Amino acid sequence: MADFDTNPTSLYSIKGIVILDQDGNRVVAKYYDRNTFGTVKEQKAFEKSLFSKTSRNTSADIVLLDGVTCLYRSNVDLYFYVLGSTRENELFLDATLTCLYDAVSVVLRKNVEKKALVDAMDTVMLIIDEICDEGIIMETDAQAVVQRSALKSDEVSFSDQSVSQLGFSFIESANKQFKWSLLK
Amino acid sequence: AQSSRMKTNKKDEESGGNVYAHLDKTSVLQECRAFNETPINIKKCTHSLTKLIYIIQQGEPIGRTEATEAFFGVTKLWQSKDVNLRRMIYLAVKELAEVSDDVIIVTSSLTKDMTGREDLYRAAAIRALCKITDTGMLQTIERYMKQAIVDRNSAISSSAIASSIHLMRKSSEVVRRWANEVQEAVSSDNHMVQYHSLALLYQIRANDRLAVNKLVQKFSKNALRSPYAVCYLIRIATRCLVDDDQPDSSVFTFIESCLRHKSEMVVYEAARAIVSLPQTTPSEIQPAITALQMCCTSPKAAVRFAAVRTLNKVAMAHPNAVMSCNVDLEKFITDSNRSIATLAITTLLKTGAESSVER
Repeated sequence: MADFDTNPTSLYSIKGIVILDQDGNRVVAKYYDRNTFGTVKEQKAFEKSLFSKTSRNTSADIVLLDGVTCLYRSNVDLYFYVLGSTRENELFLDATLTCLYDAVSVVLRKNVEKKALVDAMDTVMLIIDEICDEGIIMETDAQAVVQRSALKSDEVSFSDQSVSQLGFSFIESANKQFKWSLLK
Repeated sequence: AQSSRMKTNKKDEESGGNVYAHLDKTSVLQECRAFNETPINIKKCTHSLTKLIYIIQQGEPIGRTEATEAFFGVTKLWQSKDVNLRRMIYLAVKELAEVSDDVIIVTSSLTKDMTGREDLYRAAAIRALCKITDTGMLQTIERYMKQAIVDRNSAISSSAIASSIHLMRKSSEVVRRWANEVQEAVSSDNHMVQYHSLALLYQIRANDRLAVNKLVQKFSKNALRSPYAVCYLIRIATRCLVDDDQPDSSVFTFIESCLRHKSEMVVYEAARAIVSLPQTTPSEIQPAITALQMCCTSPKAAVRFAAVRTLNKVAMAHPNAVMSCNVDLEKFITDSNRSIATLAITTLLKTGAESSVER
């Protein structure tokens, strides 16, 4: 879906959402624009040059590369990228990146590191799915994204293994605190 | 089991703690056979399903037979009531939609989830359902789609509208019948719903010039709440100005009024639109240049980058108009963002006198 490059009234303006580690290796990636990133080889080559351009200079957070506007943000050993059409309003792409980072940050309880992210891979995939649908920006409000990719309170039970594995449930921690307060 | 655990630990170390880095397709597909077991082991199946989706997303080539077998395994997981697992099922359906046969067998399960009481399922189920549906089947879910478009839950409404935009490419005549519901959604309080529905409404009417003009007139008068929707309206308006032989001056007035919008995103969009219009007079583009100049002082790199990139384009056609920004551009020569610095220098080469470059 790269209609946006040629048609300014198209909504397909996101070409990809990528998270790399400190060596520039892919942690997770979802590409939407098959014209620009049709093959894995093209994707990996792009990621390589993207990383070499962005890893040295951590203060900058936007770069133009091979006709793609790339916004990025890094933390500890992770680099977050939103790749968009050069015709898309950069502020819209910026809002998308902020939403991605903030939503992941909430889910990982501010522990935005590779190990934590890998442990919560299923939730991270759901977050990416809530933010972008086939290249259309779906949501830029991190709070809404977290709500839509999270568990509901009545689904949480302590026997349920998926809770601990999800690595994210405020309700669980609140419940635990409540339990402790009763035991004290 | 002991030896295999040893092996994965060793693998983890090699991949820097990322179990997903070197997944082997054969063993992932092997693991997915557990989907057929009863009772469903939620933890194990969620993890296997995550791996399966991961390898497909990372472009691992999967044969049709393998994919179909995995897909039928995934359908068995519908028996589980685990929310997280169900959400991963929808992702898997979308990822397998293009590589597997007979994906339409999940139509009724998805339709049930899309019309069910669980809001966390409904939006995602709509997206998955529209991904596997064809024009013939679309008619059977048409009623539910119309309802979903005007649903009060913004996730559901946005999902239905965005899916309709995807469907415009293959079943546009069906989607056109939903224009009333889409129009109703434009008055939503939710920013994204308003943006998505305005875009779909425009695409439904795109071939009818008169209707498009009416749409621009209507929405430029009663202010849209969503900055994203206003940006989109500017894009439609720009198109009207470029395409029409005798463009309506009120359309240009609307775009110009957006230069005074409270959202920075809208101000930049309007400025960008004005300087891109052919046959504008220097006095017409001056307010836009002033707005871009304001953006140059933003603390956000993305905004500075956007402004200087646009000024760079304007400088090709109207170097004199951009001269007023030379002082701001000179500050960018030492900007920490290399892209901004480079753009500023090339712009100055078009607009600046020798003195400014030497400084």
